[in-house]
Order: sequence, then C-alpha cells, then structure tokens
Amino acid sequence: MTDHVLTYMTFFPLAGMVVVLLLPRERHDLVRWASALFTLPPLLLAVWLYRNFDPVNPGLQFVEKAAWIPAYNINYFVAVDGISISMVLLTALLTFLCIFASWGIDKGVKGYFALFLLLDTGMMGVFVALDFFLFYIFWEVMLLPMYFLIGIWGGPRREYAAIKFFLYTLFGSVLMLLAILALYFSSEPHTFDMTQLIAQSSRYGTTPLHFWPFDHLRWGFQHVVWMALFIGFAIKIPAFPFHTWLPDAHVEAPTAISVILAGILLKMGAYGILRINYPMLPEATADLAYYFLGALGTWNIIYGALCAMAQKDFKKLVAYSSVSHMGYVMLGMASFTPQGISGAVLQMFNHGTITGMLFLLVGVIYDRAHHRDIDGFGGLAAVMPVYTGVSVLAFFASMGLPGLSGFISEVLVLLGAWQKYPLLSALGASGVILTAGYLLWTIQRVYLGATNEKYKAMPEINGRELFTLVPLGIIVIILGVYPNALLDLLRASLDQLNQLVIPHLS
Amino acid sequence: MAPLNYYLVLSAIIFAIGVAGVVIRRNFIVILLSIELMLNAVNLTFIAFARYLGSMEGQVIVFFVMTVAAAEAVVGLAIIISIFRHRRSLDPREMQLLKW
Amino acid sequence: METNLAPLLPSAEVVLTALSVLLLDLFIRKDEKGLLVWISLIGLALAGGMALFLWGSHEGAFQDSILLDDFALFFTELFLGAAAITILSSVHYVRETNIHEGEFYALVLLSTFGMILMAAANDLILFFLGLETMSIGVYILTGMWRERSQASEAAMKYFLIGAFATGFLLYGIALIYGAAGSTHLGRIASALGQTKSHGSIILSAGVFLLFVGLAFKVAAVPFHFWVPDVYDGAPTPVSAFMAVAVKAAAFAGWARIFLYQLSPLQSEWTLPLKALAILTMTVGNLLAISQSSVKRMLAYSSIAHAGYLLIALVAGGESGGQALLFYLLSYAAMTFGAFGVLIALKEGENDHEAYSDFAGLGFKRPFLGMAMSLFMLSLAGFPPLAGFTGKFYLFRSAVVAGHIDLAIIGALNSLLSVVYYLRVIVMMYMEEGGAEGKPFARAPYLYLAIAIAVLGTVYLGVLPAPALDLSRISFISLH
Repeated sequence: MTDHVLTYMTFFPLAGMVVVLLLPRERHDLVRWASALFTLPPLLLAVWLYRNFDPVNPGLQFVEKAAWIPAYNINYFVAVDGISISMVLLTALLTFLCIFASWGIDKGVKGYFALFLLLDTGMMGVFVALDFFLFYIFWEVMLLPMYFLIGIWGGPRREYAAIKFFLYTLFGSVLMLLAILALYFSSEPHTFDMTQLIAQSSRYGTTPLHFWPFDHLRWGFQHVVWMALFIGFAIKIPAFPFHTWLPDAHVEAPTAISVILAGILLKMGAYGILRINYPMLPEATADLAYYFLGALGTWNIIYGALCAMAQKDFKKLVAYSSVSHMGYVMLGMASFTPQGISGAVLQMFNHGTITGMLFLLVGVIYDRAHHRDIDGFGGLAAVMPVYTGVSVLAFFASMGLPGLSGFISEVLVLLGAWQKYPLLSALGASGVILTAGYLLWTIQRVYLGATNEKYKAMPEINGRELFTLVPLGIIVIILGVYPNALLDLLRASLDQLNQLVIPHLS
Repeated sequence: MAPLNYYLVLSAIIFAIGVAGVVIRRNFIVILLSIELMLNAVNLTFIAFARYLGSMEGQVIVFFVMTVAAAEAVVGLAIIISIFRHRRSLDPREMQLLKW
Repeated sequence: METNLAPLLPSAEVVLTALSVLLLDLFIRKDEKGLLVWISLIGLALAGGMALFLWGSHEGAFQDSILLDDFALFFTELFLGAAAITILSSVHYVRETNIHEGEFYALVLLSTFGMILMAAANDLILFFLGLETMSIGVYILTGMWRERSQASEAAMKYFLIGAFATGFLLYGIALIYGAAGSTHLGRIASALGQTKSHGSIILSAGVFLLFVGLAFKVAAVPFHFWVPDVYDGAPTPVSAFMAVAVKAAAFAGWARIFLYQLSPLQSEWTLPLKALAILTMTVGNLLAISQSSVKRMLAYSSIAHAGYLLIALVAGGESGGQALLFYLLSYAAMTFGAFGVLIALKEGENDHEAYSDFAGLGFKRPFLGMAMSLFMLSLAGFPPLAGFTGKFYLFRSAVVAGHIDLAIIGALNSLLSVVYYLRVIVMMYMEEGGAEGKPFARAPYLYLAIAIAVLGTVYLGVLPAPALDLSRISFISLH
C-alpha cells in the first residue's frame, strides 16, 4: 500500500467516477455518499503522507516510476517533494470538503459528481506528475470537467464563462505544449523526465537569437521557452493581463467549483513556475523574474485590491481578492530569498484555505437569499450569529490579521522581497491596507448595521455547511499560531530550488 | 516517321481541350465527353511512348484505360439519368441543393 | 513461370465475399437480408485473418507489381476494419432509406478491394486500377439513396471531379512512363538513379500531375471544394467511409510512391507539399467554423485533418511515416464514431444534421452524448485521447525533420479547431430541445460500431505504444 500511495491518491477518485457512473440515476443520496467515500481515502492518505514526509530530504519522495511509451522515453513518474507536498495536502482536503459543499446540487447529480471526481484525479495528477508528458495530460484532463462543471451547473451566463475559461486555458496549454516539445528536443537523449531535464538545464542556451524581436531583447532560446511556459502558467495564476476569465468563471461557477478554482487551480500556475521554469531554465528565471514575477505580482496585488473595492457582487469581490492575493505569491517567488519563496508557497496554501472559506460563506447566503448583492444584505450578525462569527474569522484571515495564517505568509513574502526589491515590497505592503479597506467595508455592509427586513427570518448556517467550514477555520488558526507545521516540510526543497537560480542572478 | 514530340504535343493539346471542356461546358453529357477526351489524349501519349521506347507495356496499358473509361462512362451515365429524373435538367448551374 | 498467388489471398477473399453477397441477394426475401450483413462481416474477418497470417512475409506477385509487405498488410487491415464498421453502421440506415441492401454491401466490399490494391500496388498502372475500382464503387454508393435529390447531385459532383482528377493522374503516369521507360515503381526508381538529366522536364511534369491527381483524392486545398457537398449529400455511412477509407487509401499510395520510390526527388516536391499542408489545415478549419450543419462541419474537419496528415508526408522519413500511419488509425476511430452518432440522430426522413439537433442530446441519450464528446475532444486533440497522441507524433515528426514552423502552425490550427468541435458539446449539454436520437433497441449494430470507435479512441490515446510500434514496423517494411 505505501509503495504506491501517490498512485492511490490520484486514481481513487477516478475509480469513484466509474462507480458513480454505474449507480442508478435517481439515487441522489447514494451518488453523493459514494463520492464522499471515494474522496476520503486520498484525504486519509494525505494525513499519512504528512506524517511520513521527511522534511530534511530536499529531493523527491514516494517515487513511483514505470515505463509507459518506451519508444519515446515517456514514463509514468510520480513523486512529491517540498514544492508539491502542501498542494497535494490542500487538494485532498478541499476536494473532500467540496463534495459536501455540493450536496445542494439537484440537477444531473450523477454527472456532476462523476465530473467532479475526474477533476480531482486531474488536479492531484498535476501536482504529483514528474514526467512532462504526464503532467501535460493531467493538466488537460483537469480542464475538461471544469469546463462542463461551469458550463452545465453554473449561473445564468455559464456558457460564456465556461468558454472563456476554456479558450484562455487552452491557449496557455498550446504554448506550454510547444515549450515541452522544445525542451524535449533540446535534451540528449530526448526525454520528458523532469529530473533529467533539470539536470541538463545548462544545455538550453541563452545566446541571443538573431532574429527580431529576440535579438533586441537579448533573449536566447531559454528566454523564449520561459515566456511560453510563463504565459501558460500566468493564465492560470491569473496574472494581469490574463486574469479576465477569472471573475466570469468564479461568478458563474457553483459554490464548490469556485472553491476548487480558487483553492487549487490558481495554484497550478504558481506551482508550474516553481516546478518547471525555476529549475529547468534558471538563467532565464534570473533575468526575467523581476519584471514578470516581481513587478507584475505587485501590480496584481494593487490592481486586484482596487478592482475588489469597486465590486457590488459578493462573489466577484472574492474573485478579485484572489487576483490580489496571488500577487503576493508571485512577489515572494521573485525574491529568491528563503523567506520570500517559502512565504510564497505558504501563501498558496493559505489562500486555498481562506478563499475556500470565503466562497463557501458566499454560497451559504446565496443559497438562502438567491442574490449576491453586497448592498442587498445588512445586519446579518443579528440574524445569523454563528455564520457571522465564521465569516469574520475568514475575513480577518484574508486581511492578514496577526494570529491567523494569512498574516504569516504575507509577512514572509514582504520580508523576503524587502531584501531584494524594497520598492516593490513597500508597494505590496500598501496592498495590505487596500485589502483591509475593502474587506472591512464589506463586513460593515453585509453583517453590521440595521437588519434588512427581508432577511429577518433567514435560517442560521446548518450543520453540513459548518462541517465544510470548520476544518478550514481550524487550519487557518493553527497555521497562524504555528506555521512551522507546514513550513518545515517545504524549507529543504525550496532552499535547494533557490540555490539553482541564485548563481545566475546578476 | 513523325518524331515523338509531334505526338506529345498533339496529345497535350487534346488533353487541354478536354480540360477546357470540363471547365466551361454547361451540360453533363458534354462534360463527360470532355473527360473521355482527356483519357484518350492520355492513351495517345502511352502509345507514342510505347512506340518510341519499343516496349509493349504502354500498349497494354491503353487497354486497361479503355476498359476503365468504359466502366466510368457507364456509372456516369447512370448518375446522369438519376439526376435527370429529379430535375429534368442537366445544367450544372441548377445544382443548388448543396451549396458549392 | 511460376506465380505466387499467396499475396492475393486477402483481396481475393474480399471480392469473393462481394460476389457471394450480390448473388445471394437475388435469392432471399427482403426480411432475410440481415444474412447478407453477416456474410459480409465473416468475409471481412476471414480476409483479416489471412492478412494476419501473411504478416511479415513480404511477398510479391506478378513480377513484384503487387507487393504484400507489412505496409500493405497494415493498410489492408485498416480498410477491412473500416469496411466492417461502415457495414455495421449502415444496417439501419439502408433499411430506413430503402437503399438496396445487398448491392450496398457488395459495393462497399468491392471498393475495399480497390483500396487494398492501391496499398499493395508497386506499379503505377495497378495503382490506377485499384483507385478506379475504389472510386467507381464509391461514386455509386454516394448516389445510392436515389429518392433523395441531394444524393444524386452529390454523386454527380463527386463523379465529375473524380473522373477529372483521374485524367490528371493518368496523364502524369503516362509522362512518367515515357521518361522512365516503365510504370513499375522499382524500375522507375532505378531509372531515376541512373540518369538524372534524361527527360527531366517530362518527368517533373509527370510527377506534378500525379501530385495534383492525388491531392484531389485526399481533398487538399485548393482541390477540396467538392468535399463538403459530396459528404453532405451522400448517405452518412458512405460519408464516413469516404472520409476514412478513401482518404487512407490515397495516403497509402502517396506514401508508397512519394515517400519511398520517388524519394530521390524529395527536394523538388517538399516546398509545394508544405504549402499544401498549411493551406489545407488552415482553410479547412476556418471554413468549418462557419458551418451550421454538423455533417458539413465534419466534412471540413476532414479537410483540416488531411492537412495534418500532409505534415507527416512533408516530414517524411521513419518518424513521418510512423506518425502518418498512427494518425490514420486514430483518425479512423474518431471519425467513424462522430459520423456514427450523426447516423443515430436520423429519424425516418429527417436527417437531423444541424447543430441545433444536438441540443440536449447529452441528457436524452447519455451514451451518445458521452461518445460524441469523446470524439469531438479527440478530433480537437485533447489528451489522453487518440487525436492528441496522433497529433503529438505528427508535430514531433515535423520537428525532427526540421520543419518547426509547420509544427507551430499545426498546433495553432488545432487550437482553432476547438472552437467548432466544442460547439457540438455545448449544444449537447447546455441547450435544450433538438432531436431524440435512436435508442439502443432500434439500432444495436450502430451502437456496436460506436462502442468500437469509443474503445479505439480511448485505447490509442492511453496506450499508444503497441500501435506506434506496429506503425513503425509497417512503414519500415517499405524499404
């Protein structure tokens, strides 16, 4: 069992999909419980993984490797290290909780849960795959169920949102595929194995290409490949100006899917950059990180916060807050300091839990009021005290209040960035103020003030909803008080990653 | 004896006439005849080359081509009959059910 | 002189089956015609078994003008499979449309015989005969639904353009014969090796005309304009047969003639072929976007796919040939599937071929919806389906041969194609109304054909290694 723990975690949901497809169509509860049953083992295995992960070892752990298409040196190769462990844990946790957040779906229940389980396999696969070909396949496999989940079970403008999401991401994947092929043909012998591609990173030249516009920019092969990969990943992050699919997709998607989108899919962009761009193309990373990660990340922070402030739709506000928060991840990554980069990875995890909570909370009132207009509520604290309590916890965590997890990661990012780019760090810090501004303003408009007559009898948050929120809340508090619970796992691998790039920094 | 080039040029001209007929004529039967003309130009080329090269191969091929052309003409005429039953017309310009 | 007849076994078996079906058709009552289906299928299976038995033998007959090497056997199996699927998916179609069953199956079998001949021919004249046997059969099949005016029109267009293209092809053969002194491919190749200058203008003209004739057959742009009309007007199973088998046969001939025997001239035709490939995929995809009928969309998509396949011909060499053969397999599976679902939508006189007819199909007929989604995604090139793996190796072969631009244009084109393939899925799952689709009970054979296509699409995508090896071995056997 323990030899193939990652394979089990990845393919258990796929087995679940097959089972769900075989269940009778009318037995909604049976389908729901079966889905929960099949996402539970990955979660338990994740706990086991957490306990058995060796934090001192910077290399790959729980490696599984088998030949798949031997003629082209394509392998089934999965493993975890400090870069991916937190994402694997997050995926296992959020998918399990989101099954319960999806309990209210009553149209095409079977199809919904089948696709959801397929999505789960795709996401887990992306985080554990270490063969480029396999990585790409999981990346695309994940795209499809997402498209259907938004397009069929989404809100009124679902088709538009789904297609926009799909085309953006697909455009990114085509660039990524070309980059993968470019790397494949530059390696000797040709390979898709990420570890071997990393070992050969010196082969991908940086001599400027002699045709426009690359000669002008002094860009070599490495830089071009870096940009192709970066655009593919930036669309997922989403970095400005590739972010416009995000508000649409988030707003139209059903609650649980918004949680998955914000909690896991957005992380894939940042994860991809860390996993692929950094070690495989270290020189290009050193040259380009300041502009495309540092400066762009800072702009993301401020731009996202300003957009969030202008929103009237509760869900859109949370969506733009994601754009802002992912900016911290980019800024932290660009700093190449131990604090900055581990802050970035921690921020990825924390954003997953905190934004997950926020989307779940929006879902709770949307299910009751059937609208998401921030100004249309007011005084919910008096009607729903428990709900308000949980909400305030999530808002404060998102704001970065000391003692909660968001604080730790943001401070680490800003500290790390300060050592390299004081100006960006200062601008990023101003983003914290903007964030506090729009979140407090929202709290005031939704929860405080005079109670809206219409919602006098709004029922309190129920047990199932609380069940999805409480574990996330607990993690937010634990990581706020004792961040080393996660940071210890990341440190060794991330330091090693930093050391690959730092020699190339000018 | 006339040199090879005379035959080649003649057959090229006949072939071109056939092509022109297919492109500009407005009746299926005439188009079919033009295609037959193209095939016969090809036959002439084969014969000329066979004679020039002194090999029988080319002459045998002509028999194959003639057989195939006959089979093609049969199918073509059958299709023409079937289309005439529907339309009472053999003008390609009136074939508008499927847009070109 | 002793003649080795063993290489003729599979094709002879196919002809024999066709003749038995034709004969038997005269003696049995209308409600017993189901027997003909079984005879055809058994005949095809027997031929397939013989081909399997001959695998690796590399035998030739009639002074090697027919060569049954692994390349020919690979295509033989592909054509036999295509014929079997065509017959399976047309059983219900021909009954609904009052097409004469026996003649229909016999013609499918006879065309298949022509295709096998094309793949095995090592002599241009035999190739021509195979091509004509195939084409004449398909002309008739196209117009076989005589009550429908569109079908006659489609048959007329197909016939005229096919015969026109034949004229070019044959003229090309004549000129090559004149320049090389033979129509036997082996002797042409050795003649090419000896005298480079002799008759080179005539030779070039001949090769060019041959090239044009084949471009008509594979429907490369700008020789493509007949495709949408013909596919649209023909009975749907025949459209599928044309899209898959006829195209594969033309590519088989192209590969044998150009990639192998005429490869010394490669530098002369690489550039035009490259232009043809780029033009074909781009125009095919652009025109497919604006269609309102799924059947016409599939016709344009088959043009675009011909463009992808041309990439492999440009690339050439072992990797190009392998990619070509593998992609033809994948393309066969997904195209048959897509046309199969289209057949399943037909109800009596009503064809239900518009996009709007697919609305809500995903919920009304979950299997058809799921299968169609798979085919569309595979055609668009999504992993881990056959279409992705196939395209991946196509683009890879282009890069290996140094045509990086071709790989990039191909990748962008497949991005473009997502637009129209996805529209079908949007319709099936996000709209309501539309056609009902046949339930399983009314068309079991058709469902069987679709299920085979689904299996093929998934299998070739997930576990491509065996098929890739097979493609490589088959292509290498040419040399």
